[in-house]
Amino acid sequence: MFEAPIQRLIDELSRLPGIGQKSAQRLAFHLLTVEEVDARRLAEAIVAMREQVRLCQRCFNVTDSAECSICRDLRRDSSLVCVVERAQDIVVVEKTGEFRGRYHVLGGAISPIEGIGPEQLRMRELVARTAAEGVKEVIVATNPTVEGDTTALYIARILKPLGVRVSRLASGLPVGGDLDYADEITLGRALSGRRDL
Amino acid sequence: MAPVPWHIVALRNDQGIVLRGFPFGEADRVVVLLSPNSGKVRAVAKGVRKTKSRFGGRLEPFTHVDLVVYEGRNLGTITQVSVIEAFPAVRADLDRVLAAGTMVEVADAITHEGEPALRAFLLLQRGLKALDAAPRHPDLVAAFLLKAAAVVGVAPAFDHCAGCGRREDLTRFSFAGGGVLCENDRIPGAIVLRPGLTGYLAGIASADLAALPASDPAFSGEAMGVTRRFIEYHLERRLASLTVDG
Ligand SMILES: [Zn+2]
Ligand SMILES: [Zn+2]
Repeated sequence: MFEAPIQRLIDELSRLPGIGQKSAQRLAFHLLTVEEVDARRLAEAIVAMREQVRLCQRCFNVTDSAECSICRDLRRDSSLVCVVERAQDIVVVEKTGEFRGRYHVLGGAISPIEGIGPEQLRMRELVARTAAEGVKEVIVATNPTVEGDTTALYIARILKPLGVRVSRLASGLPVGGDLDYADEITLGRALSGRRDL
Repeated sequence: MAPVPWHIVALRNDQGIVLRGFPFGEADRVVVLLSPNSGKVRAVAKGVRKTKSRFGGRLEPFTHVDLVVYEGRNLGTITQVSVIEAFPAVRADLDRVLAAGTMVEVADAITHEGEPALRAFLLLQRGLKALDAAPRHPDLVAAFLLKAAAVVGVAPAFDHCAGCGRREDLTRFSFAGGGVLCENDRIPGAIVLRPGLTGYLAGIASADLAALPASDPAFSGEAMGVTRRFIEYHLERRLASLTVDG
C-alpha cells in the first residue's frame, strides 16, 4: 500500500503487542517527520538493548552483566526469595520498597488448562537455588489468576518438604486502589494478606 | 453465524462457566464460556487486565457466572457479570485445580459455538461441584471423561460386547470398536484388559460424580490410562491438560 521501506516498518511495528495497523502507520509517518538523528537513536537503542541485555544467571532477571544488580547487592537477604512470572513484575514489587530479599523469574505460569507444565518454567532452577543459597522463605507473587494460583500451589508442594516456608503475596489490589471497583473475590484475597501455603 | 446488522444491537442475558480466556488488545480479554443455552460463547471483557477492573476475578476459568452481553457485529462485549458459583476450594488445591483443568479442556473440546450444550454444561457443573465439595477422588477425572464420552454419543460398552452384545468372554477392549469385545469380534488393535478392570470401569462410568465407589489403587491408574486413550481417540486429539497431572 505504501512505498516499500515505509510498508516494511509498518509491518514490523504492527507485530508489537497492542499496536494495530492504524497505530503502526501513525508511528511510521511520525518517524518520517523527526530529525534523522532521533530516528537513528531509536533504532540503535533497540539494537543495543538486544545485544547487551541478557538473563541473570542466578534469578533470570534482565541484566547487562552475569548477575543482575539485585543479586549483586550483598545487603539483600538471600534467605528470602520472591517468585514472579516475568522480569517486569520485579519492578512492581521493588516499587513498594518493602522487600529486601531476592527474586526468581519463572518465565510464565503453570496452566492447568493449556497444559503448560512446571518443566516449561524455571522451576528446577528454583529448587536448586533454595538448596544452594540457603533459602528459608519463598514468597510467591504470581498473578491472581488460576494459572498464578496453580503455580503457587505447585511451588508449595515441592518446597515445603524441603523445609522452606512458602507464602503467597496478597495481590489484586494495588496500594491506593479503588475499593469500589474491586470485586468480592479479589477483595477477599487481598484482605487475607500474605498467607502461608 | 451471520453478522448482526448494526442497527439491531441487543443486550442479551446468559449464564455459563468460564472455560478460558486470552489477552486481546492492550487491556482486554476474550473470555470463552460454556452456556447451557448457547453452547460455547466468546465475548470481550474490556479492561479486565487492569487491576482496578470491575470484573476482577469473576471471569477467571471455572467460575459459573451470570452475564449481560452487548451483541456487536462480531464479538459481543460483556457489560455485567455476577458470580453464581465460584468453586473456591478448587483453586486452593493443586490436585483439584489440575483435575478442573482437564474437565474444562474436555468440555471445551466436545462443544461448539451457537449449539445448545445443556448436557455438557451440567456435566462440567457437576464435576466442579464434586471437586469443590471434597478432596479429589482418584477416579473422578476418569469418571468425568467416561461421562463426556456419553455426552457425545460414544460411551464405551463395558457389560456387553460392542460387536454382538453377548455378555460372556469379554476379553478385549477397543478404542475404535466402542468398548469391550468378545474373542469372536476382536479387531486389530483391541487390547487385553486385566481381569476386573472392565467391571471397575463400568462402576465408575455409571456412578454419580459426587458419590463414586471407593477407589482401588490396583485399578485406578490403569482405569485413567484406558479412559484417557479412549477419549483422545474419539476427540482425535491429545489432552494437553493432563501433561501436568500426576
Ligand atoms: Zn539476579
Ligand atoms: Zn461379540
